[in-house]
Amino acid sequence: MVQNKTSSDRLASLQIALQKVAEHRDKAAFEELFDHYAPLIRAYSLAREPAADLVADELAQEVMMRIWLKASSYNVRLANLNTWVFTLARNCRIDYLRRNSRFVSEIDPTEIFNNIEDESPGPLQLVQQNRTGDNIRAGLEKLPTEQSEILRKVYLEGKSHQQTSEELKLPLGTVKSRVRLALKKLEVLVAR
Amino acid sequence: MNDLTIHPDESLLTAYAAGSLQLSQALCISTHIEHCSKCQQAVQRLNKLGSELMQQLKPSPTSSDLKASLLAQLDNLEDRPEIVTPVRVDNSIPRCLRQFVHSDYKNLAWKRVSTDIHSVELCRDSNGAKVELLRIKPGGAATTHTHMGDEYTVILEGSFSDELGVYSKGDFLLRDASHRHRPVATQDGECICLAVTEGPIQFTGLFSRLLNPFIRRSYA
Repeated sequence: MVQNKTSSDRLASLQIALQKVAEHRDKAAFEELFDHYAPLIRAYSLAREPAADLVADELAQEVMMRIWLKASSYNVRLANLNTWVFTLARNCRIDYLRRNSRFVSEIDPTEIFNNIEDESPGPLQLVQQNRTGDNIRAGLEKLPTEQSEILRKVYLEGKSHQQTSEELKLPLGTVKSRVRLALKKLEVLVAR
Repeated sequence: MNDLTIHPDESLLTAYAAGSLQLSQALCISTHIEHCSKCQQAVQRLNKLGSELMQQLKPSPTSSDLKASLLAQLDNLEDRPEIVTPVRVDNSIPRCLRQFVHSDYKNLAWKRVSTDIHSVELCRDSNGAKVELLRIKPGGAATTHTHMGDEYTVILEGSFSDELGVYSKGDFLLRDASHRHRPVATQDGECICLAVTEGPIQFTGLFSRLLNPFIRRSYA
């Protein structure tokens, strides 16, 4: 609980820093954001390519630039700051992989991952979203390792379910059912 | 897997949110969620899960050079305007498809596949998957076929049915190699769909079976 309290205080202070960047182009506030997020973005990049320090630096720099440029378009009502930064990092990583792969895809990913940002949630959904965040955080700690391990492979290492199954020597069906179980426990998955 | 479903399943949505899907598949998911608020909300929760996992990572310290060089660039960055492309595009076209469909569906270079079907290839993905639009005339039928790989379909206009059900605008379908199916557009209008095929389609009719070697060759 104490842990949770500090992390939400931290988040609140980062949100204020972002607001200062957006409104006053405040560089000291930007440094605060950099100090918190750049090492996490580097870690995110290294999770996928453990030895690639330069790639990690490049990704951190790219995402931080976007934060600087897009600060004023960030809307706290749509996503919390951590989620916004995660989606920026994910999108930059996809873009980087696309530009640097041997077989180039002709598909521009920009619009593929942007289309959900302009839907304004109602107040009820906002409450529900916040609750979802709390549940996810609390739930992750209690998740059996065999489930959280797979989530980390998929999200952080960027592995497909197929690659995850090969790496862990588990049938594909088992990987999928562990993901499903984890999502149910975290209340990410609700009945349609 | 063979469930009758009009939504992507949770493993596809998870891979989409994690950014580990092939872009051609992500294109289909993106097209679907523009029409489906439930999947949209599921993706928002999945993004949140991603952000929590990211926060749990052990931070990897950056060099002081990186920060200094970035700070030095910030003022120049401000001069660079956001790229805004003013496109006159039909609003009913999903945003993620506007990179291929610049005005409306009619103006695309449609090619005749059969009396009932026209198609236009939009692009190829890095894994060779073909991304195309199909236009089926009212009441028109596609040739019975199975797939070598998975086929992802999202309905953009109109509706069609196959052995498993009736589908309308925004519906997402995944058919794997075990399916033999024969989609038929409904009588009330033309049906346009986005289709991503990961391997060559196998026609299963007697005559069309003779065509298969040629079709396979065109994928080489």
